[in-house]
Amino acid sequence: MTREEAIDRINELLGSTDPETINTSMRIPKALREAAALAVDELGVAPSTTVMAANALRSLLEATVGLAVLELHYEEYPQFRPTLANLAVVAAEWDGNPLAQQPELIRRYAEEIVQRHPGAEPEDVLLWAEAREYTAAAQKRASAEQASQADQRGAA
Amino acid sequence: MTLKRIVLLDNEAVQALRDPAHHKHQRVLDEVEFALKRVARTLSVRVAVPAAVRVEAGWDRTAPSWAFINRFPIEDVLLDTGHANTAAGIAKRTGVSVAYAHIGAVIHSMEADHVMVLTSDPVDLRKVAEGKPIQVVTI
Repeated sequence: MTREEAIDRINELLGSTDPETINTSMRIPKALREAAALAVDELGVAPSTTVMAANALRSLLEATVGLAVLELHYEEYPQFRPTLANLAVVAAEWDGNPLAQQPELIRRYAEEIVQRHPGAEPEDVLLWAEAREYTAAAQKRASAEQASQADQRGAA
Repeated sequence: MTLKRIVLLDNEAVQALRDPAHHKHQRVLDEVEFALKRVARTLSVRVAVPAAVRVEAGWDRTAPSWAFINRFPIEDVLLDTGHANTAAGIAKRTGVSVAYAHIGAVIHSMEADHVMVLTSDPVDLRKVAEGKPIQVVTI
C-alpha cells in the first residue's frame, strides 16, 4: 500500500457512517483510564470515556492524515514548505498577537532565533520577538532618560 | 474536549488551497499546516467549508480534479433549513452572494468560542457577521 492509498483508505474509514461498534483489546495504562473516567464524571468533558477516546482518536487521525497529505505535497513542490517565519506570522494571527501587523519584524526575529534554537516553534518566535522588542524599548527609554539628565546637568 | 475554534474557508481560500499555481497557494498552505498542527496538539480546532461556498467554488468531492483538497479533513457545513433561513435574511439585508450569506449563517449558528474565516474579502465578511465577533484572516 502506498502512502497515498493509505491516506485515502483512512479518509474513507473516517468518513464512514457505519454505526457498528467493536470491542477492542487495546490495552491502556490503568491510571490513564482512571484519569479519563474522572475527567468525564467530574469535569464533564464528554458523555463517556468511550466518546472522549473516540473523538480524540478521530481528531488526531484527521490531523495526522492532513499533515501527511501536506508532506506528500511538499515532496512534489518543495518550494511550498512553510518557513518558520510564515508559521510564526500565522501563529500571531491566530492568537491575536499585535505582531501579526508586522510580518517583516516576525521574519527578522525568526531568522534570529533559529541561529540559537534550530528547533524553535512558531510560538517561540513570537515570544522571542516580544522579548526583543521589550528590551529595545527599555533601552530606548533608558537612553532618553540619560540624555535628559545630561541636559539638566548642562543647564545647571 | 470542547471545540474552541472553527476555521471556515471562502471560495478563494478553497481555490488557492486546491491549485499550486494559484498566487495565494502558499498563504493558504501556511494556514492549513498551522491549523492541522493545532488540531493535533489541542484536539479543539475544526476546519470546515459551507456547502454554498463549495458550490460557488465548483468543489465536487467526486471529481478527480479535486483529489488533493479532498484528502484534507475539511468538513462540509450543510445548507439545512435553519442555515437557509438565516442566509436568506443575511443576503437580503447585506446584498452579499449566496456563498457569503451561508458563511454568515454558519457564523451565527456556531457555538465555537472562536470563529475564524480565511477570506479574500474581509469587507463582505464583516457584513455577514453582522456584529458577531469573528476573527478574519485575509489571504
